[in-house]
Amino acid sequence: MAEFDLTKRIMPYLDRHLSFPLLVHLSETNLFSVRDVQIAQYELAKGTNMPDYAANLFSQIYPDQEVPQEFEEKRQNTLLTHQRLQDEAQAVLDVIENPEVAQALRQDKEQNLQYLKDNYNLTLDQIAALYHFGQFQYSYGNYSGAADYLYHFRVLSTDNDLNTSAQWGKLASDILSGKWDAALQELDTLRESIDSRSLPGPALNQLHSRTWLLHWSLFVYFNHEQGRTLLLETFLSPVYLNTIQTSCPWILRYLAAAAVLGRAPPAGASPRVRNALREVIKVVQMEEYQYQDPITAFLKELYVEFDFEAAQRELGRAEHVLSDDFFLGEFCADFLDNARYLISEAYCRTHQKIDIRDLSERLNLSPDEGEKWIVNLIRESRMGADAKIDLDKNVIEIFRPAVPVYQTVIDKTRGLHLRTSGLGTAISRMGAGAVPQGGDAPAVAVR
Amino acid sequence: MSRFFRQADDSDSSESSDGEEELMSSGDEAPIARPAPAAKTGMAQFLAGGSSDSDSSDSDSDSDSDGQDSDDDEPQQAVRIMSAQEKRLVEMEATGKVMENALKINDWVAISNEFDKLVRMIQRQHNVSEPIPPFYVKTLISLENSVNNALAKEKEAKQEKDAKKNAKALNATNAKALTAMKQKLKKSVKEYETDMNEYNADPEAFESKYAALIAQSAPTAPTAGGAGQRPTAPGRDDEPGADFTNVVGKGGKAMHFSSEGILKNLQAVQEARGKKNTDRAEQIRILEKLLEVAATAYQRIRVLLALVSSRFDYNSSVATHMPTELWLAAQREVDQLVAIIVANPAYSIQEMTEDYDELKERSPEDPEEKGGIVRIRGSIISFVDRLDDEFTKSLQNIDPHGTEYIDRLKDEKVLYCTICRAQAFYESTNQDEPLSRVIMRRLEHIYSKPDAVVQALEAAMEVSEIKPNMRLASLGTSSGLIHALCVYLYKSGNSLLRTRAMLSHIYHHALHNDFHTARDMLLMSHLQESIHSADVATQILYNRTVVQLGLCAFRCGLIKEAQATLLDIFTTQRVKELLAQGVHQQRFQVLTPEQEKAEKQRQLPFHMHINTELLEAAFLVSSMLVEIPLLASIDSDELKRKSISKPFRRLLDFADRQVFTGPPESTRDHIMQASKALQDGEWEQCRDLIQSIKIWSLMPEAAGVKEMLAKRIQEQGLRTYLFTYAPHYSTLSLSLLSRTFSLPLRTVTSIVSKMIWNEELSASLDQSGGVVVFHRIELSRAQQLAQTIADKIGAMVEQNEKALDVKMGGTGGWGDRADGNKGEKRGEQTQERRGRGDRTRGMRGGARGRGARFAQGLGNEMSSRLG
Repeated sequence: MAEFDLTKRIMPYLDRHLSFPLLVHLSETNLFSVRDVQIAQYELAKGTNMPDYAANLFSQIYPDQEVPQEFEEKRQNTLLTHQRLQDEAQAVLDVIENPEVAQALRQDKEQNLQYLKDNYNLTLDQIAALYHFGQFQYSYGNYSGAADYLYHFRVLSTDNDLNTSAQWGKLASDILSGKWDAALQELDTLRESIDSRSLPGPALNQLHSRTWLLHWSLFVYFNHEQGRTLLLETFLSPVYLNTIQTSCPWILRYLAAAAVLGRAPPAGASPRVRNALREVIKVVQMEEYQYQDPITAFLKELYVEFDFEAAQRELGRAEHVLSDDFFLGEFCADFLDNARYLISEAYCRTHQKIDIRDLSERLNLSPDEGEKWIVNLIRESRMGADAKIDLDKNVIEIFRPAVPVYQTVIDKTRGLHLRTSGLGTAISRMGAGAVPQGGDAPAVAVR
Repeated sequence: MSRFFRQADDSDSSESSDGEEELMSSGDEAPIARPAPAAKTGMAQFLAGGSSDSDSSDSDSDSDSDGQDSDDDEPQQAVRIMSAQEKRLVEMEATGKVMENALKINDWVAISNEFDKLVRMIQRQHNVSEPIPPFYVKTLISLENSVNNALAKEKEAKQEKDAKKNAKALNATNAKALTAMKQKLKKSVKEYETDMNEYNADPEAFESKYAALIAQSAPTAPTAGGAGQRPTAPGRDDEPGADFTNVVGKGGKAMHFSSEGILKNLQAVQEARGKKNTDRAEQIRILEKLLEVAATAYQRIRVLLALVSSRFDYNSSVATHMPTELWLAAQREVDQLVAIIVANPAYSIQEMTEDYDELKERSPEDPEEKGGIVRIRGSIISFVDRLDDEFTKSLQNIDPHGTEYIDRLKDEKVLYCTICRAQAFYESTNQDEPLSRVIMRRLEHIYSKPDAVVQALEAAMEVSEIKPNMRLASLGTSSGLIHALCVYLYKSGNSLLRTRAMLSHIYHHALHNDFHTARDMLLMSHLQESIHSADVATQILYNRTVVQLGLCAFRCGLIKEAQATLLDIFTTQRVKELLAQGVHQQRFQVLTPEQEKAEKQRQLPFHMHINTELLEAAFLVSSMLVEIPLLASIDSDELKRKSISKPFRRLLDFADRQVFTGPPESTRDHIMQASKALQDGEWEQCRDLIQSIKIWSLMPEAAGVKEMLAKRIQEQGLRTYLFTYAPHYSTLSLSLLSRTFSLPLRTVTSIVSKMIWNEELSASLDQSGGVVVFHRIELSRAQQLAQTIADKIGAMVEQNEKALDVKMGGTGGWGDRADGNKGEKRGEQTQERRGRGDRTRGMRGGARGRGARFAQGLGNEMSSRLG
């Protein structure tokens, strides 16, 4: 299953520190030799300000070698720098934490700066110290501390580039310290700023930022309670879907998994989430030549080819892939459950008489389990009225009365009134009252 | 090329013009010389028609009678046939006389007119490369004086006017003419300054020299061949150190060229270039001789530059192509030139250089040369361009079915080598602009060729000693080579080259069955939006690329994509014209000759053609596979009018109307009969008909394609069968279907399930019985109508929304502004709806959907910036 491991593809889009959990997870899955993973971890750690950790890893890998001297030096250096940066930052922090100051601060950043400068002699450079200290703390693994400092910095600073950088830093810190609510909030603000940013020569930059955001957000979405729904909402919005298709098709796995997991969306979900599955299948089909794995293949076999046997096979493979995946590991059982439901739904819709034994086989279940499953399914789904189990022949019979014509006509015309009045208001607004034409939609010739 | 030499000439004349002041002052002496010709011409006028003892007065009398008429009618009435030269002289003198007269009465308007005429005549004299007659110089000098005098007088008059209030000053028009005259005169004086100085110094000598010249050239004048060797300006004659004999080749006299005289010979040849009576073959011969004796690199470069351009000059007409031998010679010489330049990096050929003395031998050691580099005016890239163009032109003109065409095509190898050498040269000298041009040329030779041909070309290039960095040998595959070439062009600044490189790259991908990459590249380039404003050649390339993409999709078995891609070009019914593979016969309007000529020039050489019959077969077959099941699925006539592929539907309708159909002959017949068979559910017959089409043999991997088609026909046959015969069955055994269509049971189940899921077929599967159970609902007329109207209303609202979207502009849509947050979602929905609608329309739709994807990425930014 190693060929379906995405760690190598995802890592280039992650921060050094964010990669550690992935590697740790890899060392647990036995996909690769433990030693290789450890070496990778060591290489990563070398570049951070965590000499102890690196030295520890080193001695694990080469138990019979002396730990290089450089780590000790680095350690000293780190401590010194820490001291220096802390002193600088403390000066600012003292001022800000003063309740008087906290009261005096307003929305307007310029004004705040002026105020701080006038009363406490704080300059922009000093405020930047907050940023540097935050960054430094992050680099040696004190993530919650980093988050604090970066937050304060963001409140005060007017420097756009540093602000963005601080935003990313804050997000990473929140992710690593496991504050999912905060991270989610951070993610939203970051997304907003990326989408609204108008940098010079931006098309590519924006694409890069979005690609990064997509990867980072996986941490949040697969850990937050409502993450999956939000993931569908975000990833299926046109711009992010484009980004996935152009620069990182492997994200489709997570999109597909989320779509399956979110099979029964909570009430009040947006239409995008409700139709997620359909949309995802389309994209999976379109990008098939670029990327496929058992999870996308499962969807394809089920909904494009209607080959239930192949779908079942893919589902079996998907199970392994899922359990080994860093993000999806926890959701494996959930996924299988939902996938079974999808299979049986598709099966029931195309079949009139179903052999329970056969269906159970399709679902990778024993006949007894299968029967229980099917009964549950019938009970909780809307098929209840139409499906009956015939225990004598051990079959399910589904009677699907044809939809009456008037029903289809009503369905088709239901939304029209609302849309038309929407059009009307839009028109009257467009004319800025100049053309008070109320609810009349402009007549457009019917073909 | 001639541009450069022309420049050289211009700068020469301006160089010599700084002695203008001197001339103005020397003009004072002119009156002394003046009376003589004035008296002479004056007398001749009074004696008009009288005794004709001298040549000149005799011609005067003639020209008096017919004035300034063109000299064509002269011979008819002339008593004695004068040489063309004499005639011109006579005309000139007549004009001079009129000027004299006008001068006497101070009529500057007349003088001005006459002077114009005179200048024109002199110009003509120039064109036939005859020496300037001393008469003209004389006139110039005298005129200059009189103008100066007149101006002085006028000034005086003005002063007097101030004093006396009555002025004998010139009237307004006259004054204006006088000033105009002054300007004109100044210009001509500048041109002939040296001659004038010479004349002023010694009028007698000047005239005698002219006479000698005339005498010398007189015998050769009638034979046009000799004109080339004659020095154009008499002034050049007395330059020292002329150790070559300036002889006429035609005369059969031996020619002596030595390395010292080369540059002078070269100069002579260059001056004769482009003139009417120059014998181009002769010139080429001289230059070849010069090349043999050329000793230094500098001389060789100079001679080669001249030689190659004169070879290109050989054919002046645009329509005909260059003879093959000449072309080959030129190609060899360009190679030689590049070799010399590469071997001697101290010499550099540039389009723009500082002026240098054409006659001086230069070498890098010369302290005058900056940085030890001798810069020579010329352009290798334009030679390469021209070679390539001439090659294409010759292929256009040769009958593609003869052996000559194939022989000519073999020359592509050497041409390709030359291009590669030029590329290597530009790579080594880091000249970006010509380098990208030459790379484009190279790319154009290989992008549409199969791997084997590219390998052959590259192998030929490997043999030469000068090689560019990008080579097949070093890059492994032809795709790698093309990629390297294209990437270079993408990075270069020229947007036209970039576009063309992009298209070639896509074409190459399509040729190698890499459909997805090619499609993505095409969509991401957004070329379909801007191609309408591109030049015709690029549009043709675009069409070729799209068509190749369609064929690629067909080969890969992506029938829907192939159909959608090829549909556009086939609905125009001008496939040949759009691909530049033949001129379209217009029914209602006739092309002007110019248009026709332009059209002809655009045509691609035969070996680059995409076979249109194969193209049509691919298109019609894919249309058949898409359209026939669709036709079968539609039961009301109302909907039948909507068709996916109009050209196919038209042919099908036509075939339906035939009372009697014989065995199929053409490709179309085959496909039409196959379509009918498919409609009847006889997929085997359909398959046989399609596979017996002969044109498939032209397609690479024909066997695989046929196999793929057979499979598609089976599947679509099953679908068609189900659509057509579903109303007549209540159940249908899956195994029967599987047997009938020779498909595995699993595939049948999969196809049927898909149809059920997509609600194309109202049926369901009965697993225990292994049958399809159909649920047929007969709709009443009213129900049918109700459904139709519901659909139409839906479509109308959709249309309205779209119209409003367009009117409001902006990407967010009107919903945004309508009701804030909720509206935003609406907007996105409409976007999605649009996207979905697009995508369902197959590949072209997908194209737009994709395009929109990228556009949105940028669009959001745009709108946010706009506010």
